[in-house]
Amino acid sequence: MAKKLVVKDRERCIGCYSCMFACTRTWYGAVGIEKSAMRVKNYPGVEGAFSVRVCQACKDPECAAACPTGSLRVSKRGFGVELVKELCIHCRKCIKACAANALQWDEQEQVPIVCHHCGVCVCYCPTEVLAMEEVG
Amino acid sequence: MYRMLSVDLTNGKIEEKDVTELFERFVGGKGVLTYLAMQEITADLDPFSETSPIYFAIGPLNGYFPSMSKTVAMFRSPLTGDLGESHAGGRLHLAMLSANVHVLRIVGKSEKPVYLSIDGDDVSLVPCSSLWGRSALATERILREKEDQRKGKKSIVRIGPAGERLSPIAVVTVDSSRHFGRLGLGAIMGSKNLKAIVISGSNCQKIEDRRSYQLLYDRIFQELVESENTYKYRDLGTAANVIPLSKIMGLPTRNFSQGFFESAQNISGEHFADQLLAQQISCAHCPIGCIHMGVLRELFADPHMYKTLKTSYDHELIYSLGSNISVSKAEEVLKLIHFVERQGWDAISIGVVLAWATEAFQRGLITPEEIDGLALNFGDTETYLKVLENIARGKNEFYRDLEKGVHHCAKKYGGEDFAICFNKNEAPGYMTGPDAFVGYAVGVRHSHLDCAGYSVDQKYLGRSEDIEREVKTMYEEGVWRVLTNSLVMCLFARGVYTPQKVVECLNVVGFDIDEPKMNQIARTVHGMKYLLKERLGFKFTNLSLPKKLTNVYTSRGKMNESDFEKRVELYFKFVEEDKRLASRAL
Repeated sequence: MAKKLVVKDRERCIGCYSCMFACTRTWYGAVGIEKSAMRVKNYPGVEGAFSVRVCQACKDPECAAACPTGSLRVSKRGFGVELVKELCIHCRKCIKACAANALQWDEQEQVPIVCHHCGVCVCYCPTEVLAMEEVG
Repeated sequence: MYRMLSVDLTNGKIEEKDVTELFERFVGGKGVLTYLAMQEITADLDPFSETSPIYFAIGPLNGYFPSMSKTVAMFRSPLTGDLGESHAGGRLHLAMLSANVHVLRIVGKSEKPVYLSIDGDDVSLVPCSSLWGRSALATERILREKEDQRKGKKSIVRIGPAGERLSPIAVVTVDSSRHFGRLGLGAIMGSKNLKAIVISGSNCQKIEDRRSYQLLYDRIFQELVESENTYKYRDLGTAANVIPLSKIMGLPTRNFSQGFFESAQNISGEHFADQLLAQQISCAHCPIGCIHMGVLRELFADPHMYKTLKTSYDHELIYSLGSNISVSKAEEVLKLIHFVERQGWDAISIGVVLAWATEAFQRGLITPEEIDGLALNFGDTETYLKVLENIARGKNEFYRDLEKGVHHCAKKYGGEDFAICFNKNEAPGYMTGPDAFVGYAVGVRHSHLDCAGYSVDQKYLGRSEDIEREVKTMYEEGVWRVLTNSLVMCLFARGVYTPQKVVECLNVVGFDIDEPKMNQIARTVHGMKYLLKERLGFKFTNLSLPKKLTNVYTSRGKMNESDFEKRVELYFKFVEEDKRLASRAL
């Protein structure tokens, strides 16, 4: 069975961002966090509480449904999405459509950043916030 | 390319400069800033003048490797008049890298309160009179919400009311309870009417050799997560030191009267963890997670109205607002820390001031009018909170003086013998013996972290002293830390980043460097720092040991003045060689 990325235990997060660094490093060969397909966010005024947002691995994704060109479509895996970059018209409709606010946007390339559910972020989480889980 | 962004607060002028050549010569962080400061900080420069510069810098390994998570600040210290340098964690290093700002230089003075906003290439000064007077905590809360629509991780760097009042012991607070704590950078920001800096960007640096980078990264990451070297910082945090130090009579108690604190257990890392620890958090890109957030639930109205404070604690704060003023309840320490955090004082400095004030009051040096009716007693938290409140309100001249540092107070009111400072900087929380004290005195920034004398002391416990070897060990550690502070590495990762590993890391990011060359650069920068310090009035021959410390038992017994002087002189000789090296390099 294919596996998807999930947030197993959010409250354990220490906010080190190792996950986002790993994602950016692996998929873009770059140093930083802004190309990461997931986000660890801290809330204004709440010391040490983090919101961890990952692609929800939808089987019928709102983001893909909102794409006017078919650039963002359901992945061959059967859940989550993949991007045909050439078709993207940079309209951001996909970003707005994701109710979980989980789909990220690449500011430089002006395209969505899709999660491949590869699990590399899980490998670098020192407190086991993230996990891979079988898709039901 | 390494880039410096200069902002002039007087006229809003913004300039960029390529500083790649400086990074090649001095690695980054502390090295580059020392060179820049040498060009600009002159003997007659008033720290509060328009021309007084503030620099922030990261180094070549920030972002690239885990626990390379610090930013260095340099300035002329309003507390000591000497060169000021302070380090902070948080997200600042990452935000600077993402904004492609390796060095940030701020000069000038804004007419009205502003914050500096750096959002990638978009740099502006935003008027913020309504934020003036806000606590360091409220300011972050407000700005994080106000700037929430930004892309990219923000770092919020700000001062509290103490900085606005130009207290020379005011800190600059970074994100969640990290600080440029020492030597009064907060007052310089205050003097410039600069309440905060909000910085972010979305730049991602491409990696050249992905394979070797990844392999090296994994080795380091794994070690940081699993090794014994970092376990202590994650588990109990620096507060793990409290009990062991007290056991060896190295925990300053009641204004450095003794090193054993009878209530150490109650303010220990173990006690905090068991009773008050809410969670650990970390700086950006650091898997250690050393920041320990304590939570204090307080009943404020009967029968069941509660409020909850969340504040981070560390060894230094537990010493300065705990054992050194004899506060023996962890909850009370947290309360004091929280007050200090909101005002934005250096917790070490304000604690040393409270301890001095208590002793001065008990010896009759302070009149009842000056103290405005309070009676200071070691261990009396309620009164200490009132004292802090009075300082914050600027109640009278005495209270206004208290936030000017212990040296200033002792000069004016007496009690210099028991004003525990070195080169005018209030002492950190170790009285382990001669090496700790000498380290505070001779160190480049008068911090216990400069050459780790406290750790050398502990190695010599129960052994006969070997002055020359001890000083040499401290000097070598001092030089090595010049280099790690140029990368800019968190010292908690020092057990993992050996010189050999640092060379490997630097090679991967394109530096043509080996260990001898690295040592040469470190020594050069070390020499440069003292050349600059001496230009600003620092003299090894002026260094002295507070008289009280010659009369108390440290972990290594009593210390006398001549021993102190001998060690300082030995250190001075090493520095002389580095100064020659620096002069040749400049």
